Amino acid sequence: MRKLISLSLFAMSIAVAHAHAFLDHASPLVGSTVASAPREVSLTSQNLEAAFSSVQVTGANGARVDQGKPQISGNTMRVGLKSLSQGTYRVRWQALSVDTHKTEGSFTFSVGGR
Amino acid sequence: MLRSSNCSRAFALALLLVAVSAADAFAHCFVGPRFFPATLATDDPCVADQMSLPTVAWSKTGDVPPATEWDISADISKRITEDFGITISDTWSNIHQPGGFTKAGFGNLDTTVQYQLLKDGPHELALLVGLAVEWGGTGAIDSGLATPWSTLTPTFNFGKGFGDLPDSFGWLRAFAVTGQIGYQFPTRSFDVDSGTFIPQVLVYGGSIQYSMPYLKSEIHDYQLPDFINHLFPIVEAQFATPVANNFGNSPITIGTINPGVIWVGTYFQVGAEAVFPVNHASGTGVGFLGQLHLYLDDMFPTTIGRPLLGGNSTPPQKLSF
Repeated sequence: MRKLISLSLFAMSIAVAHAHAFLDHASPLVGSTVASAPREVSLTSQNLEAAFSSVQVTGANGARVDQGKPQISGNTMRVGLKSLSQGTYRVRWQALSVDTHKTEGSFTFSVGGR
Repeated sequence: MLRSSNCSRAFALALLLVAVSAADAFAHCFVGPRFFPATLATDDPCVADQMSLPTVAWSKTGDVPPATEWDISADISKRITEDFGITISDTWSNIHQPGGFTKAGFGNLDTTVQYQLLKDGPHELALLVGLAVEWGGTGAIDSGLATPWSTLTPTFNFGKGFGDLPDSFGWLRAFAVTGQIGYQFPTRSFDVDSGTFIPQVLVYGGSIQYSMPYLKSEIHDYQLPDFINHLFPIVEAQFATPVANNFGNSPITIGTINPGVIWVGTYFQVGAEAVFPVNHASGTGVGFLGQLHLYLDDMFPTTIGRPLLGGNSTPPQKLSF
């Protein structure tokens, strides 16, 4: 058993390039209200696979307000936004980590008062 | 509690709870944006590549005076295909009676095969069926910690997250529930040694859990400390009720309610729960349950952490956005 524990801890220490791509941070913050319209949405996650990671931003009427394909640099995925008016917007994202684990999620942020 | 045959019955049911829990309690479970952690006392609703090493339980039995019991179990779960997996587990127990008498040894070996019926991401719903087998005669029969007969327990499990509720529900959307029900058949109906019938038992339980990771990434990021954002406060409950072939035995239901918390990391999780017996037959005072659980699919994604058959070596699909 002790050998198994040691092996497992060793594996955890070397397995830094794997695992699900959890959302670590978003800008604007998840569920936040920002005073001025942001120019982009950025999502920070782990081990993003550029070819299979995506983000979509829609307004209250369901129309897309992002500017298309996201840019991925390191662990951060960014997508530009069109000019946003006051309101609530939904960000839907999917990410594939380098070990092919898929993660997805969505959240809202608001511009101006709710 | 429990004297003579009643004592034996309650102890056997307690062993049953431990055995079913140990056999079924482990799987790495993503359903859409929802992550169901591996629960400690009951099962979560997914097959996966997992290992719990160890799960440690401490409690006092319902005997008068109560005995002190330690249970240390280990298990490993392996996917054969993407939706079909097997779990192998065993438990070592040490029961110390007041006055110095101690019995210790392994319980019977448990195996569970499970099939993933459904994973509905948008509704955060997962369904699972399985068959748990406790292999009679593979444990310490002489110590009374294992039985010479086997048991078969068909099981059904579900998990449901509430993230599909309207946004107006706010922080409540981070709640989720899991549940399980199983029906245990012994391979013998009568124990000649003790002169008692061996009942068929309904085993059931579940959990209500709150996902701080879900709150942060799906609902509202309050910028809480990172440690807090990895927590799942949880209450588990597990019960066993003899329902047939129980002539001459107590019909009483035993079970526990376990409030606790699970911390989830990228490659492993750690959980701790207090164990409250629901009645005197279920134990005395407050016990403890702790577990270190390893996500083999994340630790070894290209080797032992993937299904033996049908696993993909390339990304499974191009995402839609």
